[in-house]
Amino acid sequence: MSDLVKLIIDGVEVEVPKGTLIVDAAKQIGNDIPVFCYHPKLEPVGMCRMCLVEVGFPMRDRATGEFVLDENGKPKLNFGRGLQTACTTPVGEGIEVRTTTEPVKDAQSSVLEFLLSSHPLDCPICDKGGECPLQNLTMQHGHGTTRMVYSDKLHLNKHVPLGELIYLDQERCIQCARCIRFQEEVVDDPVIRFHNRGRRTEIVTMSDPGFNSYWSGNTTDICPVGALTTADFRFGARPWEMKPAASLCTHCPVGCNTTFSTRREAKSGGKHVIKRVMPRQNEWVNELWMCDKGRFGHHYAADSAARLKRPLIRKNGELVEVSWSEALDFAAGKLQQYGTAVAGLSGDRLSNEDLFQFQKLFRKGLKSHNIDLAARRLAGGDVVAKVGLSSGSNLKELGKGDAIIVVASDLHEEAPVWWLRVKQAAERGAALIVLNVRSTRLDKYASHVRHYAPGQAVDAVRQLVNFAKVEGDSNGDALSAAAETAANANNLVIFYGSEGVDYEETAVIAQHLANLLLMKNGDGHAGRPNNGLIPVWPHNNTQGAWDMGVHPAFGPGYAALETPGLNAAAIYEGAANGEIKALFVMGADPVGDGLMADRGQLEFLAVQELFLTETAQLADVVLPAQSWAEREGTFTSGERRVQRYYPAVLPIGDNKADWQILAEIGERVGLGKPAFAASLIFNEVAKAVTQYKGMDYRTLAQVVKQWPDVGGEDGYYAGNAQKNRAGLGQVWASAAESGDAVAYDVAETAVHVNDGLALIRTAALYTPGTLISQSDVLADRLAQPTISLNAQDAAQMELAEGDLIDVNVAGDTIAALVHINNTPAGLMLLSGVPYVAGTAVAQIGQEIKD
Amino acid sequence: MIADKYAEEIEGILARFPHKKSAVLPLMHLAQREYGYMSEDAMREVAGILDLDPTHVLSLAGFYSLFHEEPTGKYVLEICNDLACALRGADEFVEMVCRKLDIPLGGTTEDGLFTVKGVMCLGACDRAPMLQYNLKFAEHLDEEKFDNLIAYLREEAASGEEPPSVVEKIAAYAKK
Ligand code: SF4
Ligand code: SF4
Ligand code: FES
Ligand code: FES
Repeated sequence: MSDLVKLIIDGVEVEVPKGTLIVDAAKQIGNDIPVFCYHPKLEPVGMCRMCLVEVGFPMRDRATGEFVLDENGKPKLNFGRGLQTACTTPVGEGIEVRTTTEPVKDAQSSVLEFLLSSHPLDCPICDKGGECPLQNLTMQHGHGTTRMVYSDKLHLNKHVPLGELIYLDQERCIQCARCIRFQEEVVDDPVIRFHNRGRRTEIVTMSDPGFNSYWSGNTTDICPVGALTTADFRFGARPWEMKPAASLCTHCPVGCNTTFSTRREAKSGGKHVIKRVMPRQNEWVNELWMCDKGRFGHHYAADSAARLKRPLIRKNGELVEVSWSEALDFAAGKLQQYGTAVAGLSGDRLSNEDLFQFQKLFRKGLKSHNIDLAARRLAGGDVVAKVGLSSGSNLKELGKGDAIIVVASDLHEEAPVWWLRVKQAAERGAALIVLNVRSTRLDKYASHVRHYAPGQAVDAVRQLVNFAKVEGDSNGDALSAAAETAANANNLVIFYGSEGVDYEETAVIAQHLANLLLMKNGDGHAGRPNNGLIPVWPHNNTQGAWDMGVHPAFGPGYAALETPGLNAAAIYEGAANGEIKALFVMGADPVGDGLMADRGQLEFLAVQELFLTETAQLADVVLPAQSWAEREGTFTSGERRVQRYYPAVLPIGDNKADWQILAEIGERVGLGKPAFAASLIFNEVAKAVTQYKGMDYRTLAQVVKQWPDVGGEDGYYAGNAQKNRAGLGQVWASAAESGDAVAYDVAETAVHVNDGLALIRTAALYTPGTLISQSDVLADRLAQPTISLNAQDAAQMELAEGDLIDVNVAGDTIAALVHINNTPAGLMLLSGVPYVAGTAVAQIGQEIKD
Repeated sequence: MIADKYAEEIEGILARFPHKKSAVLPLMHLAQREYGYMSEDAMREVAGILDLDPTHVLSLAGFYSLFHEEPTGKYVLEICNDLACALRGADEFVEMVCRKLDIPLGGTTEDGLFTVKGVMCLGACDRAPMLQYNLKFAEHLDEEKFDNLIAYLREEAASGEEPPSVVEKIAAYAKK
């Protein structure tokens, strides 16, 4: 039986899978049937009538049921059903579609005339003008003239804030409902809807804050007119004035592909500025979407006045501007002065090139393995190297018969696009198993949910894996049913995070989960496409940091070291007690994050940064770095996809790329001539990190044709979501893919028992921080420090909704608002504050009265 | 709060539908009966009972002309001024009505008796100009017939006799 259907479109024969819509079949042979309401990622609704075409259906004899044949012995076609909407009509065997006949042309121009009869035609001041499907299709299919009296047009409000991020121009809306359907069908935030009827139909929201969704910006991309615009771009620039620059989002490990639109403008003193950020299609990563944090949270890079511009050295107690050579000579000299009492701490937002150069400077130049990430939250990079999500996977392919497990993570807040793709997999029929201490937005879509007691994450995971080992032993326990589902799934993808668990616990959890993936029920899951482990890393390039060997115990490519260096905790201790004398901090703020109280006994502190952070303020030398928007490089996503980003704007001040600063220090400590391009450092990476073998800047820039075909010449489907011409990246293969992974012998761990009220810090997408707080547009959405607990616990402590109280967490006092919800008994959730490890014991202090 | 005040009635309504969400219109009628119109709070209450985003309720209130988002007079005169009626003089009729009652379209008379609304086709195009009040149709209208209608309604209001309100009627249909 063939699942393919043959049909003819404008004389061209096409063969497409059964169920394909005519509009998509036509697209596949380059025949662009005009559409407005249709969007390939949304359910078709047939609302706008722009896609009307003639369709001839083979006629059958009523009596015999046989095809009626014409004189040539071919089935006769019946075109008598009137025009059909190509966006809702599926193909059928033997049908013939005509898209250029008079009746079709007449329908197209009539629909356009109808739409334009209440359209303001303010293209000259419209953000969409120049990349507007309505404009383009009117040029292509519309009348050249109007029969309308211009002054008879209905006038409606042109500046309606749907919340402070998205503005609606009511007059421009053509009521295609793409925005409403996106919010409802795709992201399940149905907070915008139509109000009223006919020409007065308008988009409204009643949510608080308005248009309350992490996805709102996407509606401005798919809106086929300029009705929806973002607060930070509207009236900002014309599309043809801007240059696109391919980039990546730096806010979470998903690694959404993005495009910056930049221009040089008088308004900004002749500077190159980023006017907007839009998703760039990568059907393996973010498809056509991105979250609002990525879209609005970029302002720290190019337009923050707080950016450092010149190297600083402390002279007479003051940080003063100096030349690069003075700063570099000073830093290099000091770093060599203390022998092995030197250490380096790095952030995990930097590029692979930066991170590689960082470990090289320490290992090869300063002969020290004392390097680590400044803030360690999630372990298991080495485990991921063995059983990570296989190359050739796409979360989009998961569905019926497959299973996804999410452990200790709130994907909606930590990695929104993963949340979306997991939710969609569950909607396609994949079994979703959620293990966490509390409910998250994933529970709604889950088939198995286990809320374990605070501190018992490891135990719950161990039980799950043990249940899976004993086949068919479903003793009625929810966890054992989940284990059975996971063990028998065709494909198994597991996410694990760090909510409520500390670093050591995450290491154990990763190993247990690896064993589940390696279990040989049937084929074993690890190593096959669409199977494997995905760590919900705290930052966009934590994966890259592991791969590059920014770790005291692993060199590049997970080469285990015989004599490991000091880890971050030991380095902080060493700085406090004087065992470490010189410390180099890159792209991290341990003092601001509460990891380090002060300089301690350090004799030398160097900080390489974008901003004068609290740590930088204590430094002897501050080296100003370029943000990712000012240069090129690569990041590796949590799915281990190595991806390139490109320069978007000119460097700020005299700043240099992190890798370049490190290489120039390296030259001064005997590492030879510095490389002069990021691509050359990446070539070094590809040699040193075995997993990256064969990659270079050209292979990472390869693209293939993607479906749906957005951003093509027609530009119908996605408004201004951009075609990907800059690269899809490459995923490195896990060891399991070549059969080189064996199960872990996981050490038994003691079960935590908490006395008193347990406290867990939970993630919030808009948690205030150095970077996101620089985006004024998000100021009203920043998460406030909040303590959530259930009504009984609150009553017992005499707390009421909205109280402002002091909470003592691991020695720090935090003022937080009380919120009463369904948090499990005996637990308090703290959000809107920087990371707190594991499960802490909380003490509630005084209520703060003002 | 209707949730507390009409707990039993609400439970009865919910029991009639396989999906909670489907009970939204009956609950909106109930809320409108209670508050006289769909205030923002009323919408939030209904949404809260059904676990919906309040925008959903607002959208329905905006779509159906029998829901009012502003306080109304005792009688809501819903005049059809859709295409067919417009061709038979509905626009002039609306103008006359507004002049007589001395209110703009959508307004309410000072005595709180009448609100005039323009609505979409009511399915009586062949008997235009026409209007609907209390779910009753008045058709083939002209100035004289309109004066009579107003006089009649004023009388009814003065007599203190309460006509069954629109929402009660609907609630009664819904119950059947
Ligand atoms: S705002 Fe845009 S996307 Fe939404 S209905 Fe109107 S035209 Fe369509
Ligand atoms: S999901 Fe993550 S990577 Fe994607 S836009 Fe949002 S923060 Fe950025
Ligand atoms: S009706 Fe087909 S695209 Fe709108
Ligand atoms: S147009 Fe007025 S009743 Fe139909």
